[in-house]
Amino acid sequence: MPKTKKMAFMAVLTAIALGIFMLEAQLPSPVPVPGVKLGLANVITLAAICILGRGEAAAVLVMRILLGAVFAGSPSTLLFSAVGSAVAYALMCVLTALIPRERLYVTSALAAVGHNAGQLLACQLVVHTPGIWGYFPILGASGIITGLFTGIAAKYLLRALDRSGLLDAEK
Amino acid sequence: MNDKMKNLAWVLALLTLALAGTVGFMLLRAKPSGGDIAVISVDGKELRRIDLGAVTEPYDIPVTTDWGSNTVHVERGGISVTESDCPDGICIRMGVLRAGGGLPIVCMPHRLVIRLEESDVYA
Repeated sequence: MPKTKKMAFMAVLTAIALGIFMLEAQLPSPVPVPGVKLGLANVITLAAICILGRGEAAAVLVMRILLGAVFAGSPSTLLFSAVGSAVAYALMCVLTALIPRERLYVTSALAAVGHNAGQLLACQLVVHTPGIWGYFPILGASGIITGLFTGIAAKYLLRALDRSGLLDAEK
Repeated sequence: MNDKMKNLAWVLALLTLALAGTVGFMLLRAKPSGGDIAVISVDGKELRRIDLGAVTEPYDIPVTTDWGSNTVHVERGGISVTESDCPDGICIRMGVLRAGGGLPIVCMPHRLVIRLEESDVYA
């Protein structure tokens, strides 16, 4: 992919991810458990890793998190989401290399669980309360379900992008 | 194993894990801890320590820090967050933490945690 096109793609993906993130932040949490959320913006992170590469995806992710904190989050939760996202991103990078793209949902589900673990770890370091790990089983379970969902969504997004011809080398 | 079977196996494995997590959480939440002392802390620093068994009249504690404001309601045998200016309000919806057991009440945006401890720890 030419450099200019790559940059344009990164900018568009960042904007879309931020939009999804902001929209999701407006939805009330379905269950009173801290840290449970859909994580739909991860569809974009996954897609970015697959079509642009790891470094570019990291840039998109970092921009989304920072801009997301400016527009929707609080400075306090930025730390938790940053650590969670870093763990999830690392898992995505490793797992996309190991697991075929047809099973992107496996990568996504495991990355979501990693996100929740990272989030709890960061929270634990701040609040010094080991008791919050009591939430890990339910956070992990919700991560698996939402991760399956975002993984399937990412698969369809990649398929649509493939068919659109936007990714063709000569264009 | 063909591809369809492989997909099915993966999804089933993941869903089983999710189910195990949910069941584990429910068991964990129901498990009595025996603690009657509610400890309110922000940012890991302890603010108040209340013996829930010794409360006679219900009262409110305002907890205001740089992160935000919460109102903690203390009653005999229970503690809860009744007001908060955090964006999600999850701490309020977590309900009452009853003496004797339960997972800590957490307000992540405000770094507020209310947990139970055994009464003899600091006795």
